[in-house]
Amino acid sequence: MRSLRGYRKRRGGILMAQINMVQSLNKSIDLLMANDERVVVMGEDVGKDGGVFRVTDNLLSKYGEERVIDTPLNELGIVGMATGMAMYGMKPIAEVQFQDYIFPAFDQIVNNAAKIRYRTGGRFNVPLIIRTPYGGGVKGGLYHSQSGESYFVHTAGLIVVTPSNPYDARGLLVAAYKKNDPVIFLEPKRLYRASRAEVPDELFEVEIGKASRLREGDDVSIITYGSMVPVVMSTVERNGVNAEVLDLRTLLPMDIEAIIGTAKKTGRVVIVHEAPKTLGVGAEISALLAEKAIDSLLAPVMRVTGYDTPFPYTHEDLYIPNEKRIMGAIHRVLAY
Amino acid sequence: MAALGNLSNDQIVTAYRNAVRARTLDLKIINAQRQGIIGFHVPAEGQEMIQIAIGMLAEKDDLIFSYYRDLALYLQRGVPISLIFDQMLANGNDFQKGRQMPDHFSFKEFNFSTVQSPVGSHLPLSVGAAYSFRYNKKKGIVIVTFGDGATSTSDFHAALNLASVFNLSVLFVCENNGWAISVPTNRQTKADIYKKGAAYGIPGKRVDGNDLIASLAGLQEAFDYVRSGKGPYLVEAVTYRIGPHSTSDDPKKYRVDEITDGSENDPIKRLENLMLKMGVVDLNFIQSAKAQAKEEIDRTMEERMSIPAPDPSTIFDDVYEEPSWIQEEERRDIDGSD
Repeated sequence: MRSLRGYRKRRGGILMAQINMVQSLNKSIDLLMANDERVVVMGEDVGKDGGVFRVTDNLLSKYGEERVIDTPLNELGIVGMATGMAMYGMKPIAEVQFQDYIFPAFDQIVNNAAKIRYRTGGRFNVPLIIRTPYGGGVKGGLYHSQSGESYFVHTAGLIVVTPSNPYDARGLLVAAYKKNDPVIFLEPKRLYRASRAEVPDELFEVEIGKASRLREGDDVSIITYGSMVPVVMSTVERNGVNAEVLDLRTLLPMDIEAIIGTAKKTGRVVIVHEAPKTLGVGAEISALLAEKAIDSLLAPVMRVTGYDTPFPYTHEDLYIPNEKRIMGAIHRVLAY
Repeated sequence: MAALGNLSNDQIVTAYRNAVRARTLDLKIINAQRQGIIGFHVPAEGQEMIQIAIGMLAEKDDLIFSYYRDLALYLQRGVPISLIFDQMLANGNDFQKGRQMPDHFSFKEFNFSTVQSPVGSHLPLSVGAAYSFRYNKKKGIVIVTFGDGATSTSDFHAALNLASVFNLSVLFVCENNGWAISVPTNRQTKADIYKKGAAYGIPGKRVDGNDLIASLAGLQEAFDYVRSGKGPYLVEAVTYRIGPHSTSDDPKKYRVDEITDGSENDPIKRLENLMLKMGVVDLNFIQSAKAQAKEEIDRTMEERMSIPAPDPSTIFDDVYEEPSWIQEEERRDIDGSD
């Protein structure tokens, strides 16, 4: 059956659309807003402009300015206000335009949003989603490229997720909406329009805390997430590596069973992420493996990550892990 | 009775009793802190009257974001001393399960929000709450209190701006007690605090926070303005922190040149003098009010001290709605045996 736009088709009675991550997120928010009046969108340029990446495009005309709120330019204000709204009966989806700009709101996130349930003995809670694009690859220099997930993964009380494809983007956002706790929703901006996928035209969930095994393999496990997922997939496929690939999808809490399971299966683990190496998510995975799967490891756990430098402009391609560096680590663990 | 405006004798007597209860409680807690019974305290001594005035004008539906130095405000709003002690002692009856330092209350049942330590960071929350009130057509306004130090925080400016841009019903009340720990207000700001709203299009007013009648009169105008839906309002209540910043602070180190100890402006003394002069009460009443407060507070602390601490394993609850495997694993290993 043809739909109005021509690219939709029905599968099992549900309209399927071939859409990119931006379109998927846009539709997700649209569906959530249509479904639940408590949901509002707020942030810089989210209204008329539809967000600088267009994730909130056309929502203002549909839902009005009480629900699609163009805010003043102040991240701590956006997050603090959204936290107050969430405490008192609303479900805000706040956008921080670039994750690089989230730091003024860090106190609100870490000391208010993440701690309000705990400090009030569970009598208040903060069902808040903070969406923010992160990562490099768009020639954004120091301040439109950072991968700051570790700052948030270090904070009990937060949930941290990051999709790597349009399908998971929908499912994780819906799952985040169902949580009654603050969720840092990290969107790998390089993947916003990188690919299309079939996404059912409905609200479905991708369970928070569950990794996705994208590929089965026996020789080595590659644990990755976000923008590195397509890089890892093409690397192992082009080089014929018999690798198991895990897309974490949730960074807090991580899927410990999947991590330990794949390590026990292959005995060799390479972790790939774009964020700097020191105290990155890879460090945590590596420590978990040392604590819980040391007997199964046949080689040192290797990390292929962004460098411990600020994110450079001219040489951003050097900073982001690539096929060559990933294969280097794979060769080392296979040869160990 | 002209000087006392429209207040009934009952209202004045209740206000006075609550101020005395707050003062007595303050001194009792400081003592208990010195004896190691209570871990810490932020005394409100000297600031009782502005807090009482806010409590008198706030309606049940009004939501209050208080700060950590608002003891008299809780009492005026009806919070029982027993609940204050439960939090201060962090016992098993504490609503917050013993997780917060003393004075970081969350009396949701009395329409208070939750108190945090980082100064000023509740101001943006109060703006969000006001947004939600309007969005959900709930009755009531939002009142937020804070000290003079908070006016230097980014949160203060963000909150004023947001409240104004969205025309929200937030009454900002700065309890300017002259000191932010060791830094006097004139080192905090070169401007008048009540004028700081002007940059955001918010009207402001300075009131004598040590005088019940003046506080009520000034606040009434602000309450009316905010209640009418005209937007936010900023009140600066000038008062004085008679005691230290906290039980961990020694003002002798920095208050050496201070010309006042606050006693000539003590808000409780002032109300006493006024009541006596107007014949609302006599000296016997004053004495018995103080004795009654002392008796109530001594008895209540004794009684609440017998309540055991919360169960240790509860420290892993309420991190999330459902604990993740991480909290469960750590809970199992609480004694290092797992």
